[in-house]
Amino acid sequence: MVISAAARARIDLEIAQYPQRRGALLPALHIVQSEHGHVAPEAARELAEIFGIRPIDVMEVVSFYNMFFASPQPRHHVYVCTNLPCSLRGARGLLRGLEQHLGVDAEGNTRDGRIHLGHEECLGACAYAPMMRVDERYCEDLDLEQARRIVDALE
Amino acid sequence: MAKITVDGIPIEVADGRTLLQALDDAGVLMNGVDIPHYCWHPKLSIDGSCRLCQVEIEGQPKLQIACNTPVADGMVVRTDALRVRRAREGVMELLLVNHPLDCPICDQAGECKLQDYAYEYGITESRTREPRRALKKNVDLGPTIVFDQERCILCRRCVRFCDEISHTSELKVLGRGDRSVIETLPGVPLDNDYSMNVADICPVGALTTKDFRFKIRVWFLDDVPGVCTGCANGCNVHIGVANNRAYRYVARRNDAVNDTWICDPGRMSYKRIGAPDRLKVPLARTDLGVPEAVAPERAIALAAERLRRLVETKGAGVVAGIASAHATNEDLFVLRRLLEALGSDSAGLAVPLWEGDDLLRKPEQAANGAGARALGFGDAASVVERIRGGGVAGLIVLGHDLLDPRYLGGVDALARLDTVIALDSYVSEMQRVAHVLLPCRVAAEKWGTLTNHAGRVQRVRPAVAPAWDAASEGEWLARLGAALGLPGFSARYDAREVSRALAATVPAFAGADYESVGDAGRPLGKGA
Amino acid sequence: MLKVPYVTGYLTEHFGDDAFATLEGYEQRGGYEAARTALKKMTPAEVIDLIKRAGLQGRGGAGFGTGLKWSFMPVQSDGPKYLVCNADESEPGSFKDRILLERGAHQMLEGILIAAFATGAEKTFVYVRGEYAYPAQQLMQAIEEARAKGYLGDKVFGTKFRHDVVVQRGAGAYICGEETGLLESLEGKKGQPRKKPPFPAQFGAFGRPTTVNNVETFSHVPHIIRRGADWFRGFGTEKSPGTTIFGVSGNVVRPGLYELPLGTRLDEIVFQHAGGVPNGRQLKGVIPGGMSMPILPAGQIDVPMANEFLRERKTMLGTGGIMVMDDTCCMVRVAEIITYFFRDESCGQCTQCREGTGWLHKIVSRIERGAGEKADLDVLLDVAAKMEGQTICAFADAAAWPVQGLLRHFRSDFEEHVQQGRCPFHASFEL
Repeated sequence: MVISAAARARIDLEIAQYPQRRGALLPALHIVQSEHGHVAPEAARELAEIFGIRPIDVMEVVSFYNMFFASPQPRHHVYVCTNLPCSLRGARGLLRGLEQHLGVDAEGNTRDGRIHLGHEECLGACAYAPMMRVDERYCEDLDLEQARRIVDALE
Repeated sequence: MAKITVDGIPIEVADGRTLLQALDDAGVLMNGVDIPHYCWHPKLSIDGSCRLCQVEIEGQPKLQIACNTPVADGMVVRTDALRVRRAREGVMELLLVNHPLDCPICDQAGECKLQDYAYEYGITESRTREPRRALKKNVDLGPTIVFDQERCILCRRCVRFCDEISHTSELKVLGRGDRSVIETLPGVPLDNDYSMNVADICPVGALTTKDFRFKIRVWFLDDVPGVCTGCANGCNVHIGVANNRAYRYVARRNDAVNDTWICDPGRMSYKRIGAPDRLKVPLARTDLGVPEAVAPERAIALAAERLRRLVETKGAGVVAGIASAHATNEDLFVLRRLLEALGSDSAGLAVPLWEGDDLLRKPEQAANGAGARALGFGDAASVVERIRGGGVAGLIVLGHDLLDPRYLGGVDALARLDTVIALDSYVSEMQRVAHVLLPCRVAAEKWGTLTNHAGRVQRVRPAVAPAWDAASEGEWLARLGAALGLPGFSARYDAREVSRALAATVPAFAGADYESVGDAGRPLGKGA
Repeated sequence: MLKVPYVTGYLTEHFGDDAFATLEGYEQRGGYEAARTALKKMTPAEVIDLIKRAGLQGRGGAGFGTGLKWSFMPVQSDGPKYLVCNADESEPGSFKDRILLERGAHQMLEGILIAAFATGAEKTFVYVRGEYAYPAQQLMQAIEEARAKGYLGDKVFGTKFRHDVVVQRGAGAYICGEETGLLESLEGKKGQPRKKPPFPAQFGAFGRPTTVNNVETFSHVPHIIRRGADWFRGFGTEKSPGTTIFGVSGNVVRPGLYELPLGTRLDEIVFQHAGGVPNGRQLKGVIPGGMSMPILPAGQIDVPMANEFLRERKTMLGTGGIMVMDDTCCMVRVAEIITYFFRDESCGQCTQCREGTGWLHKIVSRIERGAGEKADLDVLLDVAAKMEGQTICAFADAAAWPVQGLLRHFRSDFEEHVQQGRCPFHASFEL
């Protein structure tokens, strides 16, 4: 079993909130990812069993949403918002600067498996641009120096 | 009922249906009322995504998709409005923006809805200068189907088929937007008993069967309506024929029988038509007991001679007949008449079994068990008992299913008989015991009717002609009867005449002769 | 945590006070009084009637009458009815729902309770965009507090009314902000919008009658119950009553949130409230209502921010996300960002949207690179026209309109790219 007993217990609590089991699939995928960073084939099989669906039903959902991953991920995700309000205030420069600083192209992973650097489409922080999302945390009103310090502090 | 008007023509349709469903029910869709469509399929749930079936409905400002718009009494529909045409052009242009346009090497060419509708509704000039989407080609989806992702227009018919019909759900659309692709999960191939239907319903060249692809251009094929003889369901098929050879079966729609589907084993059974184990010449056993090829006339003469002598010496009571569920109603009617004329009252039906399923496949692995029973042939068990007990000296046997473990389990019991006249399409152990063995045509090679498990009489016609001396069972038996000088038998044989005689003689078959049943078939009468 | 709005109104007046986010602090400022009144002293029909008279319109972008929407819910039902709160705020330029969750979760919950009572819903599903981890956490805390105090659960305020709220986090898909895409996602599927009919009020979440409203829409409701329809109509215009929270971003001195009456002039918001364009630059254009809405050139922003006025200028209020661009901006780059976004976020069901969004982006991108041709501009407009009004949901419209707007007002930017074979706006923001 790749889904831990604790995760399974949390999934069951989610399922209890919905009139149909499958309603809890997105919450369950978040729970699985919080443990493993991605949804591995074995996890998809286990989830399929829990929800009474097929593994491909799980992977279809995983493939649709930006925040779910089918392959192993670096320890941290850093996303610079590059949509219009952020681009108008220097987001692309911030992203280029982080690419150089981390030695990785956008949408790539650092060699040490520490960071995935990417761009994202509007995170709802338009007045506090440029900004980036570091895992679940928003870092707003950034300059490159601050952004560098933030990524450097990631383990 | 709802009265609607389509392009000024009044049509009465059933309530509670959507426009495309109602027009399809009425038999006018693409048959008088042309509303092009990709994602909609009469036997699948409504998808509503291809947007090609948009029509103008009086009182509605926007165009509506005909597939999902419920009909209402008094509805006025226009399919010929300029903005409908523009909408179709728009959809066609957008579908072609990323299509590889590889028709010259595409196996769907000639029966491709993308070609057809592009010709009819597309604009002739390509305005895109952008690189086309590069996706996977020649994807091996499973044992039967090859997939070209670039040609796929994402109508999702195949996905819905696997969800709703085969209930196997191997296929899903992964990704989103213009990165959407249909995929299987690694280790879970498209592999079910109905998998090849996805190629039939794929409107483009994305899904093709490994069996048929690159065999022949479809425009060289003649399309002969036929019936699959793989089981008692009698699924309707189009037999694709060229050069006197069957290249494929494709499901032929019959809502009373198989909707628009056939099972994979049934589809592949077209290969049995020209199979290498077909029996090709009449065989007669020499005095040494060795089968020897003989001319048809000689075979009939030998068979007639043996039967006459047997009846003369031991009486007709020792002659028995075995009907085959592979033979047509007409063949079996002639067998019944022959046995009656000989004075035999011992006959039975041998029918092979396999595993049926909930969708189409029936437990009887032959097409005409119900017809044989309607003609009075009971189970072969009683005849088998008589053979084992020595009560039978002469046997006229159709097919070789009698050798199945459910009946005789082999030829031993037949070896003791004085006379065995066998009629069969395929080589079998029967060859070792038959005194005369006559090569027969299969359903795709002859005129006739078959009665499916539900008592529906359906017709077959020659799609191909065997290049050897094969005749239908009915014809051989008619010639045998004529050689025996039996009353009412003539060597001249026409299955359609026999069909009329059958319909006139056997009450259950009243009105169910070859001509009357048409290509869609007709149920047996209450007399059955 | 988001900064407090620069200009506040009844929705946001206490957002500077951290205590307002707690149940205790919320109640001290009159919180949950309106819900008590509705549940104990009014009938569901009276509540719906009051909301109708107030003229509250949905604040999620489409602006549909809230009271009317509630009235679509069947009164009699053979099973549960649901309410869904659309907190999937993803429209570029919009960030108002985020602050309503972070600092006003109880205010929204109170609105949900009133709406649930009015529509007979037994459960509300709040679908919060996946990236909003902190706002979702604030909301869940508020729900826990409300449950503990009996404001949610089997006997709300000791009445027979039963209600609970479930929070689901999305996972990064803009289309889940479309109400039926949201319902699909809520059911654990891909967020692909449903074809209509059937409509959510008949066949919504989990196949049950469902009403979907936006975070801000719910947040207005307690105020209307407490102070009446006439009071509410004292804000805004006759056809668009109430306030809304405008989010101002881009090239302005004070980007941020501004709660102002509907009908406040766009130039007033940009120049007076947000301080105008910085660095001595001139204004070039303003997108008034989130990325889906067509742009207005600098000369046309003397318009009240209400749909009845904006429509005359071929744009709409949308979500009130105001994006300001100064005169350095290359509008082809703006188009590149917009078309990329819609290409990325199209769910991929409908032909026109799946193929059209990709085609638009490829053409715009090519023009930006300097490889455009004159004919491309007409192809852009033609493709946009082919996408408009022909798909399952309004996403394709949302993808087509901004392109039409940019070409309507800034065609010369595109033409200069084609003529010069490169981007002529050297000082523009980077791509």
